[in-house]
Amino acid sequence: MNELMQAASMVLNGEVILVIIAASLFGLFMGAIPGLTATMATALLVPVTFFMEPLPAIAAIVSATAMAIVAGDIPGALLRMPGTPASAVYADEAYLMGKKGKLGLALGINVTCSMLGGIIGVAVLALFAPRIAEFALQFTSDEYFWLALLGLSCAILVAGGDPLKGAISMLIGLSLAMVGMDSVSGQVRFTMGSYDLLAGISLLPVLIGLFAITELLRSLPTVGQRSSRVETPMGKPLDGAASTIWRYKGGVARGGLLGTMIGALPGAGADIASWINYAISRKLSREPQKYGTGHPEGLVSASAANNAALSGAYIPALVFGIPGDTVTAIIIGVLTTKGITPGPDVFTEQGALVNAIFMVFVLANLLLLPLGLMAIKGAGRLLAVPTGVLYPLILMFCIVGAFSANNSMFDVWVMLGLGLVGVFLMENDFPLGPLILAFILGPIIESSFMRSILKSDGDLMAFVDRPIAMVLAGLAILTWTLIIANSIWKERKAGKSAKVEAEAS
Amino acid sequence: MRTCDAVSGTIAAALGAALIVASADLSPLPRQVYGAGTFPKVVGALLLLMGGLLVIKGLRQRQAWVRWSSKVAGRPFLLALAAVVTSVVVYVVLTPLVGFPLVAVTLLTLLFRAYHRRGWGRALLIAVVATTAVWMLFAQLLHVPLEPGLLEQVLY
Repeated sequence: MNELMQAASMVLNGEVILVIIAASLFGLFMGAIPGLTATMATALLVPVTFFMEPLPAIAAIVSATAMAIVAGDIPGALLRMPGTPASAVYADEAYLMGKKGKLGLALGINVTCSMLGGIIGVAVLALFAPRIAEFALQFTSDEYFWLALLGLSCAILVAGGDPLKGAISMLIGLSLAMVGMDSVSGQVRFTMGSYDLLAGISLLPVLIGLFAITELLRSLPTVGQRSSRVETPMGKPLDGAASTIWRYKGGVARGGLLGTMIGALPGAGADIASWINYAISRKLSREPQKYGTGHPEGLVSASAANNAALSGAYIPALVFGIPGDTVTAIIIGVLTTKGITPGPDVFTEQGALVNAIFMVFVLANLLLLPLGLMAIKGAGRLLAVPTGVLYPLILMFCIVGAFSANNSMFDVWVMLGLGLVGVFLMENDFPLGPLILAFILGPIIESSFMRSILKSDGDLMAFVDRPIAMVLAGLAILTWTLIIANSIWKERKAGKSAKVEAEAS
Repeated sequence: MRTCDAVSGTIAAALGAALIVASADLSPLPRQVYGAGTFPKVVGALLLLMGGLLVIKGLRQRQAWVRWSSKVAGRPFLLALAAVVTSVVVYVVLTPLVGFPLVAVTLLTLLFRAYHRRGWGRALLIAVVATTAVWMLFAQLLHVPLEPGLLEQVLY
């Protein structure tokens, strides 16, 4: 109880509340503009959070991402253009509802279900994370090695597309992570004589390069192609939303719970959660033929799922220090620079902080409703922001943000380099998620491997002689089998369709 | 720009080979076979393997060597690429010499003029406002040492 009081006093403090509101507004803006994603919002927020205490720093990222996912629904419904990838699956449905004169209902469902889904996610997080952490206290470097490896493997599995490319992307991330001084033996690796690389490549320029510069390079050429006038023919937002949501309450619960679970899987985030939930709600629906014509049922479940997934991703991040998606990968990076290493110890040593984080989640999710409604009202003005002004401004933010990590121009070069690499990788269908996860997990995998090997005096069998480690190793091997089977299956299918094409021509 | 998988596979394999070569002279820990070179060698070998598989796949599917697959047309993309790269290079080279405010205002004015297309006066005005905002946030609030440069006398 004492811890809860302590946590409440940490949260109910002017600075934290102010940060939550400001970050929510920032996330609202970033999410509502197509082409700017929640991950990009986070990458741009990090330089600012570097100068904050741990709690406001997390609060800023949590509220900005939650709000960005909700705001991403708005251009989806108005322009058929999802603001973030997490809204892509139901943008058509919401747009068609708008065509039928139910725009207020569609957006009302988006906002309300997002809030409900987010709250369900937080409840699951607050309920299960401490239990799992208790269990995780028995973990040694053996288990952490397998866990991190499992996380990376899952990231490849769920990244979709060609698993071979996912794996290469991951290996590039691991290679980048190895630059600099080795944490176990202190030897200097791959610095090519550069002093700037001695401490390794910093997280911030990598993030900004991969997620902001890459997106910028893909969005900047489209400036001026979108008509800036948007009508917002809104009667009452929320009009009839409550009764519709009540009718599909099962969908909200399913979206919330399943979304949280998907979010907790490494590599799978809000976008995958909303895709899967939309598909499942269609399968289970009594009227599946109505899907795709402006039917609210799928919207309810998928809107709840993408926000629930955001909270779910924090379960492995806080409990094991293994990120569930790119945003939590960033959070782990931020916490580490503040001297807090996420993991089960945080739950026992900093119980108040953990509880305060949960409270921040609740607050940020409750704020979604008023701010979301405000955003819907102001959507016309929000979408009329000239992208020709916005993108150059983001570029300036990126440069100064990358510089601010170590106050070094070298980091600005790193940012540019990775931005260019990122564009090349994206154009060639290499997913960026495994790369950034590997960059953050690389040191964990390597140092836990080396520690275990030193403990066991070079005996590789030591990695599987504890029951939990054995289970985790089994899961990792299962994941690899799935990845290989999946890629062979895809290869066969591609080969067959190529053959059919060749015969047809 | 999309290249044949054989090209990207070759790049990946080359990176793997480079990792293995570069980690050859990293010594293992005392009385161990494992050390600072273990991980780079494993990752390098895997890159070599995966890259090789990708090359085989690309060759078997007879993909075009290079083709334009992006949703945006080639010209605006190349212009945007040039704009971003030039901006960053100019920023890195010139900021230590003439300071952040001048470089930022100049770069932003040019970019706003190019992408917002509302005349030079408007572009300059927005650039000054934006630079002031960035200065306030990063230099004043977050204490990032942005060089005032030539404007040092004016600002302080």
